[in-house]
Amino acid sequence: MYRLFLALRYLLSRPINLLGMAGITISVWALIVVVAVFTGFLDVVERHVHAANADIVVVDLPSWSDSRRLMKALRDDPQVAGTAPRLLHYGLLLRPGHRPPPAPLPGRSALHGGDQPFLFVQGIDPRAEATVTGFAAWFTDPEIPAELRANDQPLLPRGGLPTVLVSLHRMQKDGLAPGDKVVLTTARLEADTKGNRTPRKVQIELVVAGAFKTAHSGFDGNTVFVAQETLQRELFPDQPDVAQEIAVRVHDQAQLDETAARLQRIVLRTVERDFEGWGQVLTWRQKNGPFLESVQHQRALMQIVLIVIMVVAAFLMLATLSMMVNEKVADIGILCALGGTPLGVTQVFLACGLVITACGVALGTAGGIVTGVYLEEVRQCVRWLTGIDLFPIDVYNLDRVPCSIDPLWLLQVAGMAFATGLVVSSLPALRAARHDPLVSLRAG
Amino acid sequence: MSPPVLQAKALAKSYRLGKNEIPVLRGIDLSLAAGETVALLGASGAGKSTLLHLLGLLDAPTAGEVHYDGERVDQRPVGQRATLRHRQVGFVFQFYHLIPELTALQNVLLAHMMATSVWSWWGRRKRCRAEAQALLEQVGLGERLHHRPNELSGGERQRVAIARALLAQPKAVLADEPTGNLDSNTARDVVDLMFSIQRQRGLAFLLVTHDEKLAQRCHRVVRMQDGVVVS
Ligand SMILES: Nc1ncnc2c1ncn2[C@@H]1O[C@H](COP(=O)(O)OP(=O)(O)OP(=O)(O)O)[C@@H](O)[C@H]1O
Ligand SMILES: [Mg+2]
Repeated sequence: MYRLFLALRYLLSRPINLLGMAGITISVWALIVVVAVFTGFLDVVERHVHAANADIVVVDLPSWSDSRRLMKALRDDPQVAGTAPRLLHYGLLLRPGHRPPPAPLPGRSALHGGDQPFLFVQGIDPRAEATVTGFAAWFTDPEIPAELRANDQPLLPRGGLPTVLVSLHRMQKDGLAPGDKVVLTTARLEADTKGNRTPRKVQIELVVAGAFKTAHSGFDGNTVFVAQETLQRELFPDQPDVAQEIAVRVHDQAQLDETAARLQRIVLRTVERDFEGWGQVLTWRQKNGPFLESVQHQRALMQIVLIVIMVVAAFLMLATLSMMVNEKVADIGILCALGGTPLGVTQVFLACGLVITACGVALGTAGGIVTGVYLEEVRQCVRWLTGIDLFPIDVYNLDRVPCSIDPLWLLQVAGMAFATGLVVSSLPALRAARHDPLVSLRAG
Repeated sequence: MSPPVLQAKALAKSYRLGKNEIPVLRGIDLSLAAGETVALLGASGAGKSTLLHLLGLLDAPTAGEVHYDGERVDQRPVGQRATLRHRQVGFVFQFYHLIPELTALQNVLLAHMMATSVWSWWGRRKRCRAEAQALLEQVGLGERLHHRPNELSGGERQRVAIARALLAQPKAVLADEPTGNLDSNTARDVVDLMFSIQRQRGLAFLLVTHDEKLAQRCHRVVRMQDGVVVS
């Protein structure tokens, strides 16, 4: 009993120990809140990325492959709900006679996109595409204003010209409206009689059909849709059924990886020739792996930084505890004379450290959870007070700051704090244990 | 006749300083019966405090034995020695050794807490408080329960220390120059108090002092010189 009692008395009579406690509280709080935001953000980003991507894509298909036969083989798998062929190309999309704008500053486009005129052009079959992604909803999104809306068959030619669907953001930024003419400038490789392949400039005149919008603004900013035939006519004039990529929707998301492995075997059986490695099956997660990993990476870096803060807090606690032990070793003698053992008495100092840690962890965890729950209110309050927006939620199509508190992470943070607290309080306690209790009894 | 409360048999203690062994006690025989008061006199450095620490099991002897109620105790493990010390002896020191963060009452209560766990303390705390309060009233500090040591005079501090030594109801009190820091009037009051409690409770009382007059009030006077008992 005396250990806890004395520990509390020692601490209460020395407010400087609050410093160590505050350090632990702040580091625990920050570890919980920052990681919760990153985890919530990662969930959101994953949801948005998945919303803009088919569950599975078969990429790197050779131009000689028979896409109809392959899609039929894929649809025989019980997990496959739909397939869609795609052609993929790149190009500059400009109004006739316009010059490309200066190159954008790098940085924002990775997450946000839309700052550059150089685009991915997807040649799709709208009806098939609607069975594998939310395509049908993308050009009817309620956020698209009426004057920018496409009709319900957006990729049918208009006035003899093929059409293009452009992202809402880009249409607004470039002042485009349905019916405007644009030119897609790109190139294709042509083989001459000797087998040399040289690029040849291709320009396709297009009519803007209207706007589309997915949840993933990074995808929107970099992509336009045209009909599959539009690209096929210019790039593969003698192969009407060509597909470079096949998008697949599955029935059960939980079995995604198993399904992908099965589809990979089907693809190999169907298109393999000369062991060239044609036809790779990727889940949406694999395809966007580098992007998702970059967010995970940032979370890991933040964790490291914040753990360093915890170490700093531990040093603070070590300093205040050491000061206290220096002062209080004199009490060890009398406590022994009252019937304590030297080892038992030094546990008083251990108890001091653990009480500080426990209070710090409790406050930090409670504060972290409360902040996490009311994060959006906190953001608005900070913006109202200082004008600084901590988290630009509209960039990510969110209505509140994402935040997801993982109980396992809470336990890990608390465990980490207790471990550091234990180490930090045992150092001064061990020093006290080496102190001879009789010295202070003689000296007075 | 019952065995002595405390007994030293051929007790020896020496300290090592580098290569040299410095003998401090060289074979002390001393016994203290219940209700007996003994004064220990000796020049500074004679080894009086050292003897007290050995008798209170705070330190281990180099040779010889310490017996409590006829049983040898100096070779028991640390934990048992601490418990025995708690039950058998109360210490009073020249420099009081109160804990500055605690009030008078808390300083006394600490003696109870030493031997109880948190849970059993919770059940007993009312009774313990009452006991501690009664003791402080007995030593004349009923009005000063919630004062810190730095708000008390030397004599008052020593009374708190006495109350603390008595709370666990030990059979013996070992006092190391309890009046060494007090003026003669205060010293007399404190000593009177100690003797009256000693008589009332039938305690064995070992009093280290430099004061001949004080020593004469005890049943027996033991003189030490250079680590041996001379008379
Ligand atoms: N830890 C130690 N190491 C070496 N020598 C020690 C140690 N502790 C005490 N001594 C020596 O033991 C001797 C006896 O000390 P002790 O304190 O018992 O004397 P004392 O009789 O109580 O003296 P005083 O009347 O001044 O209190 C002294 O000479 C002291 O120097
Ligand atoms: Mg002494």
